[in-house]
Amino acid sequence: MDTLTRRKFLQLSGAATVGAVAPMLTLDEIAAAAATRPLPLGTPILIMVTLYGGNDGLNTIVPYTDPIYYSSRPDISYAPEKVLKLDDQLGLNPAMTGIKSMWDQKKVAIVRGVGYPRPDHSHFTSMAIWQSGAPVSRLNSGWLGRWVESQELDPMLAISLGSVLPPLLVGEKRSGSVLPLGGLVIPTGAFGKDCQKLSQVVSTDNKLMAAAATSMRDLFTVSSTVTPILKMPAPVADDLPTANGGNAGGDSNLSQQLDVVAKLIAAGSPTRVWSVSLGGFDTHANEANAQAALLGTVSAALTRFASQMKNTTRGKDIVTMVYSEFGRRVKGNASQGTDHGTAGPVFLIGDRVKGGFYGDQPSLSKLIGGDLAVTSDFRDIYAAVLEDLLKTPAEKVLAGWKSKGQYF
Amino acid sequence: METDRLEIARLYHRFGFGPRPGEFKAALANGLSATKTSLLSVPTDDLAAAQIAEPNITNLGPRPGQNTSALIEFNIALRQQSRDLPTWWLDRMVLSDHALTERMTWFWHGHWATSISKINFAYPMYLQNQTLRKHALGNFKDMSFAMLNDGALQDWLDGGANTVKAPNENLARELMELFLLGVNRYTENDVRELARSLTGYQVEPWSGKVVFNSKRFDANSKTILGSSANFDGPKATALLLSQTDCAKFISERIWFRFISSTNGLPADNALESAFVGRDIKSILLAATDSKILGDVNNSVVKAPVEWFASVARYLKLTPSALKTQAQLLSYLDKLAQVPFNPPNVGGWPTDESWLSSASAQYRLQFAGWLIKQADLSALTAIAPNKRVVWLQDELGVLAFSNRTRIALDGEKNNPVQLLQLAICSPEYVVSA
Repeated sequence: MDTLTRRKFLQLSGAATVGAVAPMLTLDEIAAAAATRPLPLGTPILIMVTLYGGNDGLNTIVPYTDPIYYSSRPDISYAPEKVLKLDDQLGLNPAMTGIKSMWDQKKVAIVRGVGYPRPDHSHFTSMAIWQSGAPVSRLNSGWLGRWVESQELDPMLAISLGSVLPPLLVGEKRSGSVLPLGGLVIPTGAFGKDCQKLSQVVSTDNKLMAAAATSMRDLFTVSSTVTPILKMPAPVADDLPTANGGNAGGDSNLSQQLDVVAKLIAAGSPTRVWSVSLGGFDTHANEANAQAALLGTVSAALTRFASQMKNTTRGKDIVTMVYSEFGRRVKGNASQGTDHGTAGPVFLIGDRVKGGFYGDQPSLSKLIGGDLAVTSDFRDIYAAVLEDLLKTPAEKVLAGWKSKGQYF
Repeated sequence: METDRLEIARLYHRFGFGPRPGEFKAALANGLSATKTSLLSVPTDDLAAAQIAEPNITNLGPRPGQNTSALIEFNIALRQQSRDLPTWWLDRMVLSDHALTERMTWFWHGHWATSISKINFAYPMYLQNQTLRKHALGNFKDMSFAMLNDGALQDWLDGGANTVKAPNENLARELMELFLLGVNRYTENDVRELARSLTGYQVEPWSGKVVFNSKRFDANSKTILGSSANFDGPKATALLLSQTDCAKFISERIWFRFISSTNGLPADNALESAFVGRDIKSILLAATDSKILGDVNNSVVKAPVEWFASVARYLKLTPSALKTQAQLLSYLDKLAQVPFNPPNVGGWPTDESWLSSASAQYRLQFAGWLIKQADLSALTAIAPNKRVVWLQDELGVLAFSNRTRIALDGEKNNPVQLLQLAICSPEYVVSA
């Protein structure tokens, strides 16, 4: 798997194919809800950033005093003087300057060694497990899709940027919505009315035909709410130097996705969960430049986004979570890259976050089959997000998981 | 008769790219058995396919250095080739008299999913496509050995970087997980041992030429799936191909793409035993048995390329002649499926993944764009109040629902918009 997936990746295991269909809502209901019920101020908003391909955690949070780190990957390690030091053992990848400055403001929590029991080395299986949030029972729905189902019906509640719905937002009976970068354009006039007739679900529909009809219906509902907002300018990021703001990842797809998110949040969209993504982290070869460029993009895009949101009434409500399906093998391979590994760091960023490290840094001298041991379970993070941000009991969504971290 | 109609519709839409005008009605008259035989037997000659000229896709040689005039020419040629390659293949899907070969080549492309986005040369992708077509309905062993020596696949999965000094597991893992056995039918140690067995290959990226360099090969003994030997690429591949899990996996993949991605392969299926000799034609015959094809629960969504090809086939459009090639590829890109550019080595997703509100929008626009370039005189000649029923047979749809009939009735006097709605209807987008 390579270069992958600015578009959503969807895996072979079929997690994306079980999503079911929301009941009917009329256009008027949706439009009225968006106009009269903007998200109440102070409601936490979650931004999920998925890094597809398996981000190398050891070159993201670098153990710059550990000799085993340097002997394991002589070609692709970062020298101590290069890393952005977070404490006397760990430093950030040199490309992540923006995140470093947010760390200095105590707005970044880094959970170390995150994974799940019996790690899987397949991109598809591992990402399906992360997104399902159910490593033991292997549910076919996504953890945030199940959260959507625990809430009152609202197609605006959880939105993924792109044209394909990630398994993360797929529920058993209802799912989140998707929004392409360019917004949605709907047919108008008599033809538009006939298109809308086509979007009714009827009793003779099987599951897939009902989903096809629903996709047409969602086109009309989401479009009517979102299109006017997308025509507005994005919130400005006036505390960044414009030269940097302009080219600091500004033309990356991630930045474009976050621009749309920023506009919609600023406009009061009743959306509590957003999903954006960046691909290309499968660095089997020539890792150093490729990963640094990608991490630089992530860092710059998130910094710019945070800066944009700071100028709005929603700035304090936003928490961003960054994760990938696995870290990479400790020992480098001969192609200046790394093969698939296990545990990796998860970032939580925002004013509501208690900055600092959480979980133990996996030891390089106690590897399991050449891989890092998992020291934090992602369900602890999901549980905290569900209960402390989304105000929803976590146990049911997470198939009985009971513990949670204290990051907020 | 109703199950005959169901099965005939599924044969056309899943094992071909939909009916040409009049074909579906004729097939109904001929009956299920004759239709199945005709759609599943590849004729020796395909007159229409033979008329499609091979694309002008050549070995461009290595990329010239920065700031040279040769680089500009190279980039222009590469861009043209990268555009010609998918449109040439779409021509074959749409114009061939017999669609099964292209349909199976398309299936195998998604199986051994390799993307030009990393290969960066059209020529090796073209060679791979020829290999897949050659073996599309042949023997899976021959295909697998050929793919082991396929430059694009080796390059895609870092085969050239896999050496005795430091193995790179990329190809080994996907060979087991995605190509031959299926996930979790091997251990992590098997992956590492297989990677050692696959050392020694080197690829010339622009020509796709694969050579074996014994100096880079790990000649020590390896243990894969409990067998120990000095495995090399062909021997290790033969070992994987001989596993019963291989038959199970390919049966699952055929089932997943052609029958249902939600209902799993039943335990008592006839596909696995049909694949005992690894003959692809045999497994297709097992998959199209009436017990499977006549089961109303086994519906699938047409992927964007399949939807496009069946629309173009019905409208008698030639993809490479559409105005313009770039616009065609742009629509497919918006729908997230361009041939030779799968999102990752797992291939494209299925079913609900193609049914977002965004894809509904792009499908409507795409449909309108295609219809404007087509000759609708046959539809126009039908009396308006007979058009909806007529289209149902023309498009090979099992049955339009009341919902769709009502919507189509609203456009019966406007052939362009009537057709636009019909091919965007749930009954056409889904092979029910």
